Order: sequence, then C-alpha cells, then structure tokens
Amino acid sequence: MAGSVSTGESPRETRTVAIDAEVLAGKRFAYQEDMSLVEDIDLLAATPGPDINWLEDITLLSEDGVPAVFDRYSNSFLKIYFDIPPGREDEIARKVLIKHLTEGNSYGITLKDVHCKFPQVELGPWVDDSPIVGTDWKQPVLEGWTAPAGH
Amino acid sequence: MPGSGSRSGVSYDARGLVEPHADMPTNIEVDGGRARFDASALTIRQINMALRKLIYNDGVTDVTVLNPSSKHSLAVGILKRCRIHFEGSPGWFACGLIDGPEVTINGRVGWSVAENMMSGVVTIERSAGSLTGAAIRGGDLIVKGDVGARTGIDQKGGTIIVTGDVGINTGFMMQRGRQIICGNAGMNLGDSMYDGAIYVAGKVRSLGVDCVPGEWDDADTELIERKFRIHGLGDPPEFQKFVCGKQLHNYDALEPSERKLVIH
Repeated sequence: MAGSVSTGESPRETRTVAIDAEVLAGKRFAYQEDMSLVEDIDLLAATPGPDINWLEDITLLSEDGVPAVFDRYSNSFLKIYFDIPPGREDEIARKVLIKHLTEGNSYGITLKDVHCKFPQVELGPWVDDSPIVGTDWKQPVLEGWTAPAGH
Repeated sequence: MPGSGSRSGVSYDARGLVEPHADMPTNIEVDGGRARFDASALTIRQINMALRKLIYNDGVTDVTVLNPSSKHSLAVGILKRCRIHFEGSPGWFACGLIDGPEVTINGRVGWSVAENMMSGVVTIERSAGSLTGAAIRGGDLIVKGDVGARTGIDQKGGTIIVTGDVGINTGFMMQRGRQIICGNAGMNLGDSMYDGAIYVAGKVRSLGVDCVPGEWDDADTELIERKFRIHGLGDPPEFQKFVCGKQLHNYDALEPSERKLVIH
C-alpha cells in the first residue's frame, strides 16, 4: 500500500504516513489513469466568477515521485498515472481534481453525510443540483453515559 | 433543549449555538430565483438563517440583503454558488468561510471580511477594516477603497485587490496567493511571508523581514491585466512585485503538503 510502513510488531500492522486520496478511498479511480475522461471538463463553468477563481492556486505537484494534484477538501494527494502533454500540466491537474470532486469521491465529501452539523451542499459549489446534507444532525450520545450530578 | 434553564438563563441548541430570536424572518420577498429582505430589524442568526434557507432549500440563486446595519458575521459559511448583494455595510467577519458565492457590498465592511474564503468573488465598493482576507484560501476579494492593517494575513491562496492604500503588516506570514495593491503600502509589507506575490503600484513605507523585490515576468502581466479586465477596474497602473526571499523559514521543517507547495 502506498504510504504505509511496517511497525515491526507484526507483518499485518502498518502505519499510514502519506496522505493519499486512493488510500483514503480504498481504490483508484479511472480518471487517474485515462486522460480522455477529463478532457471535456469546463473549468470556467466549474468555478465562480469569470475566470478559474480558486483553481488558479491548483498546480501539478508530485507525491512519491508520481505527478499528483492536492485535494484541499480531504488534505490528500490524488495521483495521476497517465502521461500529461507538456504545457498542459496545471490544466490537467485541475481537470482531474474537478472530476474527483464532482463525482463525490473526495474523502472529505464522503464524511459530510455522517458528520456535518449544518445544512450544506454535499458535493460542493462545483455541482448545481447537489443534495443537501447535515439537516438532521443529532448530538452523539455514548451508550450508558449519564451526565454527572449538577450538570 | 440542552442547556435551557442554565444559571445564566441563556439557551443553547445541540450545536452549542445561542440565539434569543431564531424565528425565520417573514419579510422575505421571493420572485423566482431572486429574493430580497430588509435586515434592519433582524438578528444576525435570523439573517443567516434566511440566507441558508433561500440558497440551500428554496433554490434561490440571487439574494439582496437591505440594511445590514453593520451587523457582524453575515453570510458566513455559504458553501454554494449563488449571488448575494448587500445594500449597505455589514460589520466584522462578513462572508467568512464561504465556498462559491459571488458577493457584492455597496458599503463598507469591518474587520476580517472574507476570512478563510475557499472560493468565490467578494467585491466591496468602499473601504474595509483590518485583517481583510485573513487566511483566504481561494477566490477573488476586491476592495474599491482603502483597507486597514494585516491585509491577507496568513493568506494561503486567492487574489486580494485593493484599489486604495493598505496599512501595516500587509501580507504578514502570507503563504500563497496574490495581492494587488493599487495605492501605497504601510510598514512591514510581506513580513515573514513564505511564498506568494504582492504587487504594489504606490509607495512602500518599508518591507518586512524576508520580503524582497521580485522579478517581473509575462505571467505577472497576464494576471494583472486579466484581473483588472474581469473586475472592471480600468487600465492597470504600473506595479512593483514583491516576493519571499526564502531566507527566514526552514522549509524542510514544513508539513509535507506545505513543502511540496512551496518547492513547486
């Protein structure tokens, strides 16, 4: 597994060091390996205002020696395994990230349905008709716990 | 309700929020995808409740808030593409933590407007207080006036444009992103910045620790011309560019993501 090291205690015990999107998701996504799946993404349409807005700060980076884009919504790197044409590095990185986010595969998005306390769009601002989550958050209660006297 | 009947007599909901008047406002006019309401007699939470209901539940994409009356923390945490227009002046922390909205404010704002903005566009027609765009992570923040101290403190992305002057410690500990200052800059510009670029058209009173003049290239020209064009700011003046000298911080000690972002 990428980003994992043995603790030495047991061959089965591992400790994750890297912050890798596919480790968090438990799988690799097709658009990490096939550029044709992201070619038609309209970055201007996916972002507020008349330019690419927040995507201006998204550039192609590298993780474990592999080209990658940083997903700020899960604090993880999304690796890109296909050959990126020279001169299109940042554009392709942005398209892969938007594909990842619009399809709801970012780990931060998967956590929303369970944990968010306030109503918000599940998939984020890049999808027009995203469902709303967080409308019925309930305070977790530890089974068998009772408040101390006086509280 | 948890917390009700406490010694202070204040009620808290399960999320720890306190609100003496949490009734949904009744003075909202909705016309298709547009809505407007007068906020002068509403509490902060009522205003934010109305915005969330309209934008999240009712499919409204364009909201006008009349008379925000310098109330604090308005339009915070809106995480959807929409348009919000304030007819008047919000107070502190307006439009904080937003991700997607395009906001126009035809008055002034207090401290920390658009603090931690993830994406979107916030345009203020007059001046703003200190900490404008604090910790902004993405999007465009335009102030058509002067701003106070520490503009873009801890900025991690995005573009801040000020058509007037900026105060002391502008860009303090800036980590990424861009600031375009059309007027003068106060003392300690870019103090302890990690990365990013600050463009100043006027005079700089002094540079902060490890902030140095940067080399201008075609990407700088493209950025300035594009931002001025899309935000209708006219012809850009001539700017000086300032960047991090990279002598102050130990970049090897940064978090992995920060290090990678800096090295690239």
